[in-house]
Amino acid sequence: MRITITDVHKRYSDVVALDGPSFDIPSGSTFGVLGTNGAGKTTLFGLLVGHDTPDSGRIEVGGVDVEQAGHRVRERVAFLPEHAGFPPAMTGREVLSVHARIRGITGRERSIAEALETVGLTDAADRTVSSYSNGMGRRLGLASALLGEPPVLVLDEPTAGLDPRGVATFHQIIERIDRETNTTVVLSSHVLAEVERLCDSVAILEDGVLRAAGSVDELRTAGGEHVTVTVRPSTGQERTQLREAARQYGDVTETDGELTVTCERGAAFEFCGGLESDSVDHFEVHEPGLDAAFHEALATGDAGTGANSDTGTDPDSNADTDNDSGTSTDSDETATVDTPEVSA
Amino acid sequence: MSDHQQTPTDETTARADGGCATTADVDLSQPTESGSWYRQLLVVAETEYRLAVRGRWAVALTAIFAAFALGLTTFSGSSVSPEGFERTVASLAVLAVYLVPLVALAFSYDAIVGREESGWLQTLFALPVDRSWLVIGTALGRAVVLASATIIGFGIAGGFLILEYGLSGFDAYVTFLLATVGLGLIFLAIGVLISTVVHEKTHALGIALLIWAWFVLVHDLLGLGLVAAFGLSDTAVSAMLLANPTGIFRALVLGTLGAASDAGFATVLAEAGLSTGLLLGAVLLWISLPLALAALAIRRRRL
Repeated sequence: MRITITDVHKRYSDVVALDGPSFDIPSGSTFGVLGTNGAGKTTLFGLLVGHDTPDSGRIEVGGVDVEQAGHRVRERVAFLPEHAGFPPAMTGREVLSVHARIRGITGRERSIAEALETVGLTDAADRTVSSYSNGMGRRLGLASALLGEPPVLVLDEPTAGLDPRGVATFHQIIERIDRETNTTVVLSSHVLAEVERLCDSVAILEDGVLRAAGSVDELRTAGGEHVTVTVRPSTGQERTQLREAARQYGDVTETDGELTVTCERGAAFEFCGGLESDSVDHFEVHEPGLDAAFHEALATGDAGTGANSDTGTDPDSNADTDNDSGTSTDSDETATVDTPEVSA
Repeated sequence: MSDHQQTPTDETTARADGGCATTADVDLSQPTESGSWYRQLLVVAETEYRLAVRGRWAVALTAIFAAFALGLTTFSGSSVSPEGFERTVASLAVLAVYLVPLVALAFSYDAIVGREESGWLQTLFALPVDRSWLVIGTALGRAVVLASATIIGFGIAGGFLILEYGLSGFDAYVTFLLATVGLGLIFLAIGVLISTVVHEKTHALGIALLIWAWFVLVHDLLGLGLVAAFGLSDTAVSAMLLANPTGIFRALVLGTLGAASDAGFATVLAEAGLSTGLLLGAVLLWISLPLALAALAIRRRRL
């Protein structure tokens, strides 16, 4: 279900919460809303699910104006608020039952069982919420949002306050939803690596103003396609030879016996492909990350891709180029390979 | 990242703004799926009732009412105790005027604001249910608990009175019981309204106590002072009585005492134009008006 946000303004007394952001969220995508504290993310989500109405502008979900039909939109948009909570005296299953009955979901027991299984709470379903950890509570919130397989999931800082294991579990759940359903997921987060890992496209807000919007790959390569390769040669002789070889690909610096090569993406993979295992102890490929784009957007106040930024880039076009190189990058965009593949 | 979207089943169509839509999009113009409003209302009320029972509110309220009512009625052996149904009802009415509003406000002042502080309200707001039904459902669930506790708590004392005095005069006790339920529901509705318009539980508690002090302690004193000072007309006195739920309660209960004789309080009320029907209407208005205001206020509530 496509979401269109057009020139939305919202002010609370003297505080401008949203100052005209416009962007589209394509159907079936996972979309991240980034921003500093007070950037307007929660306000935007509140408007998106019809909790509040914009002073001006328009938000459409599946072609329906949220301001005109907030109730109808909430039937299709499941929202997990940042500060969602549940009565401690109720069991997880009872909480989901209340949600399912209010939503009028048919096949309630099956739907509840599926949601519990998806978030890994089946075994804890009949325990009271008071015995749940913070992470389990967030997962219960996600389960309630997943009831009835809504076409749109809106998650306001879903991993805030979770421990690393809870965060990892949450990521796996979101990735599974992304992989196995056509649900449009909209989430906000302060963790750039999280957004980079989970999202196809992002919007960056600051003080209610849209600073940038686009696919994750577009944004992180907006400053150029340069990547950095750090190589630790096995011997001093190898270092000399590698330094000479690396200069053909890009700028080379040397620190503590390690060579750092800054070059075009293609050149980097060509350079890495030519490394021989007995000449290199270790090498790393650093992709340009979203953090650079985020700070750049905030620093420059660049309005990104225009008045009505369409982030509907075909996600398939954002294929992970690391696959071509035989290496992989994790969420912090650093590929670490201790035993490099050797190519002729 | 997604490898699902833009699958072959998601035929894309170009949009004028450069975006794309898919045939997999759900048509929001289709009939709604969420539960009908009365079912949603019952789910909210049932949940609230269940939480109040599990939170031992139901037991606590019943115990409080039973303890005070039994305490008052079992003094019947002493020389200072009331005797007979009607005298006992008069004594219980005095007790109820102080106790029931306080208990009802204590039970309801956090109905909404407390749920917000726990995050449950945010969760409920995210559901496709009209916010007004959330307030009405919450009040309904708690009202059932309060009414049950009132009937059981004071009913136990009524049982003892039947054993002691027989059924003669029991109708006065039934009237007292129903009027007490009404009094409790009025202050429960006021508590829910307070809870809906404030954003902190401590503020709600403070306002609830002020409301209790106004209606139970101050209003009648002020009224008496005004009557004494200005010699107000019967209509003005009646209006002042109707403006205070505890006054309506007293009028309803005392109106049944000595009803058989022309000297009864009912005669006095009738002469003042305060019929039982009018008093009952005032009770209903006092219950429904705060709830209606709360149902409107919740729509404007920011989380």
